[in-house]
Amino acid sequence: MGLSCEGTLLRAVPGQFIMVRLKAGNDLLLRRPFSIHGIVTSRGNPRGIELLYKVVGKGTFRLSEYREGDSLDVIGPLGNGFTISESYERIHIVSGGIGVAPLRFLAMHIERVTGGKVKPQVFLGGRSDADLLCTKEFIDLGLPVQITTDDGSSGDQCLITDPWEVSVSVNPPQMIYACGPMSMLQCIGGIVSKHGLLCEASIESAMACGIGACLGCVVRAKDINEQYKHVCIDGPVFNIQDLKI
Amino acid sequence: MANHPKTAVSIGPADLKNCVMTASGTFGYAGEFAGFMDLNRLGGIIVKGLSLKPSGGNPPPRIVETACGMLNAIGLENVGLDAFIEKKLPFLKTLSTPVFVNIYGTTIAEYAELAQRLEEIPEIAGLEVNISCPNVKKGGIAFGADPATAHDVVTAVRRKTTKSLMVKLSPNVTDITHIACSVVDAGADALSLINTITGMAIDVETRRPILANITGGLSGPAIKPVALRMVWQVAQKVDIPIVGVGGIMGTGDALEFLIAGASAVQIGTANFVNPKTAVEVVDGIEAWMKANEIENIHEIIGSIRV
Repeated sequence: MGLSCEGTLLRAVPGQFIMVRLKAGNDLLLRRPFSIHGIVTSRGNPRGIELLYKVVGKGTFRLSEYREGDSLDVIGPLGNGFTISESYERIHIVSGGIGVAPLRFLAMHIERVTGGKVKPQVFLGGRSDADLLCTKEFIDLGLPVQITTDDGSSGDQCLITDPWEVSVSVNPPQMIYACGPMSMLQCIGGIVSKHGLLCEASIESAMACGIGACLGCVVRAKDINEQYKHVCIDGPVFNIQDLKI
Repeated sequence: MANHPKTAVSIGPADLKNCVMTASGTFGYAGEFAGFMDLNRLGGIIVKGLSLKPSGGNPPPRIVETACGMLNAIGLENVGLDAFIEKKLPFLKTLSTPVFVNIYGTTIAEYAELAQRLEEIPEIAGLEVNISCPNVKKGGIAFGADPATAHDVVTAVRRKTTKSLMVKLSPNVTDITHIACSVVDAGADALSLINTITGMAIDVETRRPILANITGGLSGPAIKPVALRMVWQVAQKVDIPIVGVGGIMGTGDALEFLIAGASAVQIGTANFVNPKTAVEVVDGIEAWMKANEIENIHEIIGSIRV
């Protein structure tokens, strides 16, 4: 979904999110967080942002009913994006299902800032072929893409972390960017820790405000003194080793 | 016909420029909302529930949306008194809007110590004593469900503070007016009601409660009729100001509370949905007064016709 907008939203960086209000009377009361999927440009100038979402509940169903010309009430960009450095030459992007939403934006950003010199290796996993989104976008950027599905309908029938772990042991990357289901991130966290790698993961959480007021969106921190981190203001992108997931 | 209707109200010794406050736990430490409004236009700001020591709060999931509302079980996560004074207070001191600190303890002595420490800070206008949080095992509701215990807590705080002393009441009691009268007798300057209503939600597929805490506090438009009824009931029993809170989403809701007998209102969950709600209600009440040729807010307060 493309949203035409102005102001700071156009300066969003990969990993940041917006809070969307889906008007349905007092039902669907709370705003929903969505990762920014990309910046829409026209003649080289930023004109809007893109969202990628999967209909999983009442909120995303309502979002699917919006049509061209409708207006959407959003707050953002919010949160902290991925750390991007020119010193990272060997990068892995690991995605599970709809977790690809911020990662496509990230891949495009890396392409732009490095002038196409850095080509991250992309690992896309899904339950089935229908869950594999943005494969073409990554290939169009000239990136090597490895695909797996749970049911074998596309790519190898295994978890995406299986071929990824093999790749990591052969040639360890300098940075890994990951987004996907918690089980995938747990697995990645273990491997990252074992091999002493650097990994940033974007974490999804229910949240009411997105600005650090409700304190509803916590994840456990590895540091026991800190106890919890807030996805909205401390994340949603975290060094995976800082979390206890 | 007055061009500028008078909307100022007093909550004990604290003078508010208007009757719109922001509810504890829904407005952070105010700075979070500075980008959305001029905070000095608010009548009062009540900051997140504060304890002597920092508290991490409950494990996630902590919130879930329900029909016309939300359940939360944050568990009073907060930075603790020392960090509040060091890190949060400097910004709050820059505001002209009166700041109330919501305090909670696990013992009566802790409530008293918090009151004593905060008494030394002139920029704090008042305290809101939380005897009604449903999400912490010790303290909270344990003090708010029994008139005698509530009396003891408020008496102990009253001894330590000359500031405006507001007590936040729980709806999770058989008769809220009993607690209200007891707290008034102990020296409260004002009552705020209601805190959230205890509730729960279950995931049908896993048959597990959605909140890690199992139960949580229901807030939002779903609870407004209950809050309004309780404000009306308590207003008939006490002579101190009542601050109405519970599901206020806009000006109309706020006016209902004033008519029922509240001297001021708190905006809570609506801050999450529309961060500008509180100032919009400030403007909305003024506009409504002008349209109805009402010069002073006191003409509205308790004006219910039954």
